[in-house]
Amino acid sequence: MKRWSMKHVASSLAAAAILTLNAGGTVSAAEPPANFPKQPVTIEIWWHEYGPFTAYVKELIEAYKKVRPNVTINPVVTSSGDINQKLTVALATGTGPDIMDQDASFYELYYAKGVLEPLNLDVFGAKSYDEVAARYTPGGLAAATFGGKIYALPYQGNSMSLFISNKAFAEAGLNPVKDAPKTWNDMIALGPKLKKVQGTRTVQKAFDFPYHSPRWEIQMFQPLVEQFGGRLLSADGKRAYINSPEAVKALTLWRDVTKVTGDPKTTMNTPSNPNQDFIDGRTAMWVTGPWATSQIQQSQVKDAFTVVSYPQVDPAKPHTIVYGWMWGVNKAKPEAQKIVAWDFIRFMLAKPDDWLAKVAFVQPVKGVNETAVAKNFPFFDVHMKDVATATWYIRSEYTNEIGQAVGRAIERTVYDGMEPKASLDQAQAEVDKVLKKAAP
Amino acid sequence: MTAPASSKDRAVSVPAVRGVRWSLASKQAAFGVAIIVPTLGILAIFRFLPMVQALYLSLTEYDLVHPPKFAGLANFASLLQDPLFLKSARVSLMYVLFSVVPVIPLSLGLAALFNRPLWLRNVLRSAVFMPVVMPAVVMAVVWTFMYQQDGVVNTILSWFGVDPVPWLRSSATSLWAVILIGIWRATPYYMVIFLAGLQAIPADYYDAAQMDGAGTWATFWHITLPLLRPTLLLVIVMNVIVAMKVFAVPLIMTGGGPADSTRVLPLFIYQTAFEFFDMGRAAAMSVFLFVAVMLFSFVQVRLFTRQDDNR
Repeated sequence: MKRWSMKHVASSLAAAAILTLNAGGTVSAAEPPANFPKQPVTIEIWWHEYGPFTAYVKELIEAYKKVRPNVTINPVVTSSGDINQKLTVALATGTGPDIMDQDASFYELYYAKGVLEPLNLDVFGAKSYDEVAARYTPGGLAAATFGGKIYALPYQGNSMSLFISNKAFAEAGLNPVKDAPKTWNDMIALGPKLKKVQGTRTVQKAFDFPYHSPRWEIQMFQPLVEQFGGRLLSADGKRAYINSPEAVKALTLWRDVTKVTGDPKTTMNTPSNPNQDFIDGRTAMWVTGPWATSQIQQSQVKDAFTVVSYPQVDPAKPHTIVYGWMWGVNKAKPEAQKIVAWDFIRFMLAKPDDWLAKVAFVQPVKGVNETAVAKNFPFFDVHMKDVATATWYIRSEYTNEIGQAVGRAIERTVYDGMEPKASLDQAQAEVDKVLKKAAP
Repeated sequence: MTAPASSKDRAVSVPAVRGVRWSLASKQAAFGVAIIVPTLGILAIFRFLPMVQALYLSLTEYDLVHPPKFAGLANFASLLQDPLFLKSARVSLMYVLFSVVPVIPLSLGLAALFNRPLWLRNVLRSAVFMPVVMPAVVMAVVWTFMYQQDGVVNTILSWFGVDPVPWLRSSATSLWAVILIGIWRATPYYMVIFLAGLQAIPADYYDAAQMDGAGTWATFWHITLPLLRPTLLLVIVMNVIVAMKVFAVPLIMTGGGPADSTRVLPLFIYQTAFEFFDMGRAAAMSVFLFVAVMLFSFVQVRLFTRQDDNR
């Protein structure tokens, strides 16, 4: 497999030009929209810390200054774990930023709280929200659209795929492509071949589910439930099906796979580094997104990994998940600042292939897979294949509470040995109580 | 209506005020008030006002974005029926009980040890005191690594043939792991307080006991312990209050898991306020915690003072 290089970035410039206007709309960077303020304007932007991401956004701020010299942009970078609390408190106290960066699943909450400014169509040179949505992949703006209006734009929409350590497979006499698990039953069959135990110590797991945060737990649990034909929430988010027969099957499968392949008691994964076990060689297989590619390449794994599609219950009915982060604009800010904020978002998102090349974030815009950057990105076709069968991470005003309830249910079963049905019944009761708050 | 005084009238009245002769006691009282008022003002603004505000919020529904809506005692009523809150309160209680009780004999024992002439006593005292100086966040991160499968703790246990223990990754052991850190951190702090208490006991008492032929245990039981009662009270009350407020260590090491096994009340309050944005409910929990701490402190003080009165 080829390493990502500047040569590839350079070779993709031509394709980047094609894409430049895809997400950004028809207004070029040099021509501000008619209502763009002429006077000096200062805006503030907050985003979550991730090295390559921070570097790229800072680069974009510098570039924007050249085309909009009357605009000053103050950046504030904060950790991904803290951004939700900081942002919500700031929005509540009227000190929030002009542009916010937040996990897509939280926009439902912000929309419900009335703190989001709808996308400015003039800035994007569009006549309707449908026109903007048409620039994105089908469902690409699903997590950003409320009441027919677009309130945020994603800079990354991640699929989840299975990353395989070539070294671990080779040591077990397996081929990472030919012998890769297509189903969860395949995964169970591979467990004894790849799991290494010395005495009572697990020194290599074949595969493990995530346990470092409820967010990641639900990120894996939701597609399992959907693979069995169920769902966690109703379309309007008002009813939960946490203890449905499909969810019970999903948690039972989770437990059974874990028994044979994993050892959740030995994980070194953390919210700030969820891929730690994989890059340290503690696990042979791990489900993560394309954004992890550069991190894995820079680790001891280097290029010795293979990415295959997310394992399925039934490969004939594939189901995966997509989650992402989006930019939104604070409704409480003065009109001139809101126009500038949307203009800068448009500017930032104008080059999806740059995002892919520099940060390994996949924007869900049409045509991104046609670029040279995408064609040279390791296993891009696999990621796109998994996105095509994905549904967005659950949308609810109570994402945190639901995530924690499901996370607890999983941990009760995996760590404490509680039966999946009993554990999910408890989670259902907890979530029902939360959703009751939303009932009119 | 009285006409406003002219500037001339006011100028005349000033010497009259200055003419008042203040007694020494009044001057001292005024000086005392002048010193206390700024401190009281700061306390009122930064301590008492937020407490009153929390009390008010506990009677409301407040999501940080919309204005608070009065809800009466609904938040308190729902708490008592909430299994998550009750579990969190139980975890807090376990933490307080098992982190406070061992600290008393351990810190007192260390204080007694370091109160005797020892080689390199001051160096040893400083070394033992180190955990107190270390920031909680740093400590939590270091201990997280120490508790890993191949960490220092399991490596030491393996020398004695003990299998690796999933300290932070098992509901059965995670709270004990967090409690152990609480004990490790609190012991040297209270050792210093006990040391000060021990050094305040006049040596004459021990000399007299020695002349009467009292042994080490009798001396400790009949002289040291009774004279340490005020220090003991201080240590117990302070230790319980600190233990009830433990937050950073479980947040960083376990996030309250697995399966809520380490979700102490302050952590649940934080999550309710800043992850679930239910400020009214979080405030009600804070009030509950405050009342629990106050009640416990009150009972402790009463128990100790009653025993003193009976003597």
